[in-house]
Amino acid sequence: MAREAVVRKITQPLAGETPIPAFGGGEPPGPPVALSQPIIGNSRLAVLMFLVAEAMFFSGLIGAFIVFRVSSAEWPPPFQPRLPVAVTGVNTAILLLSGLAMHVALRAAHRGKWAPLLRWLSATALLGTIFIVIQGYEWIRLIRYGLTLSSGVYGATFYTLIGCHGAHVLGAMVWLLVVVAQAWKGRFSERNYTGVQLCGMYWTFVVALWPILYALVYLY
Amino acid sequence: MKTQLFLGAVCALLPSILADRVYACSVCINGPGGARLTDAFNWSVIFLMAMPYTILFSVLGFFFYRYRAAKKARGETAKAPFLPWAWIHKESGR
Repeated sequence: MAREAVVRKITQPLAGETPIPAFGGGEPPGPPVALSQPIIGNSRLAVLMFLVAEAMFFSGLIGAFIVFRVSSAEWPPPFQPRLPVAVTGVNTAILLLSGLAMHVALRAAHRGKWAPLLRWLSATALLGTIFIVIQGYEWIRLIRYGLTLSSGVYGATFYTLIGCHGAHVLGAMVWLLVVVAQAWKGRFSERNYTGVQLCGMYWTFVVALWPILYALVYLY
Repeated sequence: MKTQLFLGAVCALLPSILADRVYACSVCINGPGGARLTDAFNWSVIFLMAMPYTILFSVLGFFFYRYRAAKKARGETAKAPFLPWAWIHKESGR
C-alpha cells in the first residue's frame, strides 16, 4: 500500500500536493507493476511443511526397517507367518484408485462442478474405508497366526511401519469425511475450495506412500 | 597451567593409545565392511542421508513448477522480474 501511494505521488500528484521527484533522476517512472500473487497459499504451504515432516518420520521408520531386514540372514524368520501378498496387492490397487478418485474430485472442484465433487469425494471415502477394513481383517488373521508386536523383530517392524501408515489413513479418512460433510452443505465455492485441496494433498501423500511400504515390507 | 596442559595432551592422545579398544560407533563392532549388520547400517545411513535432499529438491521442484505455471497463466512470455521490488530498478532509470 505504501509503495502504491509513493508511486501515485510521483506519477499523479494531487492539487496542492508536493510532487516527489523520481529517485536518482532519469526517466519518470511508468505505471506501477501489478503485485504478483504468491505461488502457493499459506494454508497449502503449512500442509506441505507438515507433509515434509511426515515424510521424514516415515524415512526414520524405513531406515530402522532396512537395518533389521538387511542384517537378518533369513526373512521372514523361521516359524513366523508369511504376509498376505496377493490380498494386500489388491488392497494397494484399491488405495491407488482412491487417489485417482481424489484427483478427479479436485478437478471437479477446480471447475466448480459441485455434484461430481461430492460424488468423487464419496467414492474416495468408500475406497479408503474398503482399504482400512481389508487391512484390519488381515491384521486379525495375522494375530491369530501368532504374529504380534512382541513376537520378534519381524512382527515389531511390520506392525510399527504398517500400523503407522494405517493410523495415517484413518486420520485422513476422518478429515475426508469432514470435507464430504462440508461439500454436502455447499460450503465450497469456485473461488474457495481450499479445504478440498488440503485434504487432497494429505490423501495423495498417504496414497503415494503406500506402494513404497508395500514393496518394502511385503515384496522385498 | 602445565598440569592442565599435560592432562589435556594425555586426554587427546588416549584414543590413539587405546585404538584397539575404542570404536567410533558402539553398534558397528562386528568387524569389516562385509559383515551383514555393518552393511545393514550402511544402507540405512545412505538412505537417511539421501532423504532430506530428495524431499528438499522435490519441494523446490514443485515451487518452480508452480511459478512457471502461474507465469504461463498470466500469459507472460518475455523475461519478467522474479522479485517484486524490481520496479525500484525501473524507477531509478539505470
